[in-house]
Amino acid sequence: MKKLISIILAGMAVLAISACTKTDNYDGPNASFQGNIISTAGGNLPTSSGSTQIKLQQIGWTTPQTIPSKFDGTFEDTKLFKGGYRVIPTGGAFWPVYDTITVNIAQGTRHDFTVTPYIVIKNFTATLTGTTLNITYDIDAPIVAGLPTIKDTQPYVNTTKLVGTGASIRDFSDVNAVTINKDFIDMSAAEKSRTLTVPNLIPGRTFFVRVGVRLSDSYNSSNFSNIIEIDVPK
Amino acid sequence: MKSIHKLIIALSLTAGVSVTSCQKLNVPPKNIFTSDVIFNSQAGIQSFLATLYQDLPIEDFKYLPSSADGAGSGGGYGFLHGGNDWTEFYNEAGAIGEEVGPWSGFNIGGGFGFWPYGDIRNVNIMIAELPKHATQLTQTGVDALLGEAHFLRAYYYFGMAKRYGGVPIITVPQDPGASLSTLQVHRDKEQAVWDFIGAELDLGYKMMPATSDAGRANKYVAAALKSRAMLYAACVAKYGSTNFVDGEAHTAGFAGIPASAATAYFQAAYDAAKLLDGVYSLYNATPGDKVQNYVDLFLKPNSPENIFIKQYSKANNTAHSWDATMSPRYFTADALSRSYPTLDLVQLWGNLQVTNSDGTPKRFDNRADIQQGLEPRLLATVYFPGATLRGLTFDMQRGIYPSFSGTAAAEVAKQPNSRSYILSGDTKTLYQGKQVIGFTGPWTGGDELTRTGFYVRKYVDYNRVQATVGLNSSVQPWIDLRYAEVLLNRAEAAVELGNAGDALADINQIRARAGATLYGSVDLTKVRNERRMELAFENQYYWDIKRWRTADQVLDRAHFKGLMPYYVYDENKYIFLAEPELFNREYTFPKQSYYEPIPGGEISKNPNLLPNNPGY
Repeated sequence: MKKLISIILAGMAVLAISACTKTDNYDGPNASFQGNIISTAGGNLPTSSGSTQIKLQQIGWTTPQTIPSKFDGTFEDTKLFKGGYRVIPTGGAFWPVYDTITVNIAQGTRHDFTVTPYIVIKNFTATLTGTTLNITYDIDAPIVAGLPTIKDTQPYVNTTKLVGTGASIRDFSDVNAVTINKDFIDMSAAEKSRTLTVPNLIPGRTFFVRVGVRLSDSYNSSNFSNIIEIDVPK
Repeated sequence: MKSIHKLIIALSLTAGVSVTSCQKLNVPPKNIFTSDVIFNSQAGIQSFLATLYQDLPIEDFKYLPSSADGAGSGGGYGFLHGGNDWTEFYNEAGAIGEEVGPWSGFNIGGGFGFWPYGDIRNVNIMIAELPKHATQLTQTGVDALLGEAHFLRAYYYFGMAKRYGGVPIITVPQDPGASLSTLQVHRDKEQAVWDFIGAELDLGYKMMPATSDAGRANKYVAAALKSRAMLYAACVAKYGSTNFVDGEAHTAGFAGIPASAATAYFQAAYDAAKLLDGVYSLYNATPGDKVQNYVDLFLKPNSPENIFIKQYSKANNTAHSWDATMSPRYFTADALSRSYPTLDLVQLWGNLQVTNSDGTPKRFDNRADIQQGLEPRLLATVYFPGATLRGLTFDMQRGIYPSFSGTAAAEVAKQPNSRSYILSGDTKTLYQGKQVIGFTGPWTGGDELTRTGFYVRKYVDYNRVQATVGLNSSVQPWIDLRYAEVLLNRAEAAVELGNAGDALADINQIRARAGATLYGSVDLTKVRNERRMELAFENQYYWDIKRWRTADQVLDRAHFKGLMPYYVYDENKYIFLAEPELFNREYTFPKQSYYEPIPGGEISKNPNLLPNNPGY
């Protein structure tokens, strides 16, 4: 009897061990996709969190996935499954791109997208007077006809280089927004040359500042300026 | 010998089994209802219909529009009918500024994956089966039930059309054995779905009798629903063709209707509403007390205003918890409240007189004096400071000012730490013998006391004894369709069609009952505002701002306000300050939320549902 039990136990042990030796013959998500979102106005498209993204749909699958753009207009995802994908930049603030392109994504695949921004912010300056920040900039539109209505413009102030929508200090940023609600074509030259002030910055601190212009497109998206670092003296 | 016995037994067993095995087992199973059992009698059909009515997409007390922010952690979301669905404060009103509630912002736009094709299949079976049972049910009986089935099918499709736009129209029970290519049906265009809903409701109107048991449809229920649905379609056509998110589904007509179709839909809404003329009337049993009258409108079962209601019962384990979750614990036996009417809603009725002409806050001897001169309907919709319920007073008080000078605006603009008020985290703290905050809030310690200075009054059953007001014990019916809404549908359609005269008469009927001053003329803004006031908290405004395509402007980094009562100690007076609601949350409606995404699980089962709605 004892012998029988030990044989059964031994048999079970052999089965238990051998049952685990099957290997997964699918590759892990070891493909990557990266690149730039290039603005036709020159350089990368300045973006912020929660807007510009690359939408990918793997051929043969139904659920799309997205790669959010980084603030400098680059994007990167290193955990993708190898295969053919339909890709398209989306989320604004640029003239919609309708042609998806198909990319075979493998290790180290690179692709650059070129988009035409709705609004380009030029001559952005930010100068400090005491604790008050004076901001000047000009807004320009590469294509005027059919441009969505401009809703408002505002400064974005944060204590890190990650500054934009959803990454700013409300009392310095959203509070200082200026409503425009006008079509670009109806704006006078004076209205296109903007000034903003951010009062009562905290002495002895470093802030990062940029400005944005928000449009009433499908995503209520914003075009952004570059980022300027401001040291408020003690 | 023994083995021979065994052999004989084995042989006879084999023989026996092989002889009987050739007989086909053809006994009707006792545990499965065949179509004869169900469709040969009214009783059988009633039990079949019960599920179909229970599953209707009626946005009632229990409706949870999303699973965001922990909603539905008690078990499920969407259209609920269980015995413990007690999270009424996760309501649509709390995501769009009628109230502020547990939602952390506008985050219910993704919906909950409503996909009622199981119920639609049951309706389709009913429509296919009923004509075969005319002998038992009589032809009249079959026709009436067919009308009811068309109404039910329209209601299910309406629930989907307003969420997704175009969905596959399926009118026959699909054969599960059919090939995959026939089962994976493509989306129909949005316009085709609305036209289908209109046609189904026309059939319902034509075939159903004029009266029905409470909770079941009749021809006028179909007409009333048609006025609601066609108004939605008309607005999608008119406003959705200028304010939309671009994408494949839009271009293909799955999300969006050509603007040219708007007028016909407005006309259909107007005509459907007009069918109810003289059949229903506004509840006006106690015209001498207009506040009480408006309160009772939502609590009296035999109101002539009720067109279609949904009932609840403790015995059947379907009771709801409105009473226990809309008032704070102070007035109830258990549970708590978490969503509160905003000052923004209250000010639709006009600005409250809380500030003097020089900007200083008006001094009140008594909290309750704030209610003086307000429209009865407003007082019956919202509990103001000083109102009473079950013998107790709504004693809202945010804090105490030892003394107060200056203007209201200047005080509210100050940083909190430079204001001279005394606040408290609990109701026990006293200042010079006076309670600092009210038993009913407002405070910031949690959200079970008001964040805005107001509480919901509509639908709250004031007759119940406090000790009985517990969870899952409320049985007042939800009025899904009431005549006031039909009048408002009619007025809105009339204004859109350029018939402001008709709209004025409709609106003034409502205003007279509400105790408001009558209008001399109306325009679209007035009609829409009347709708917001009359139908507040009834899960209408959410869909209104969606179909008007104004949600992205109304909820554009929106913050909502409350009215905070304070006691001024050295004057022994009360003042009221309009301040941001105490959590000061931000609400933004992303434009793609005008449509919900087709549920991902359904797309993987049927890739022909692609393209998904724009932005998803």
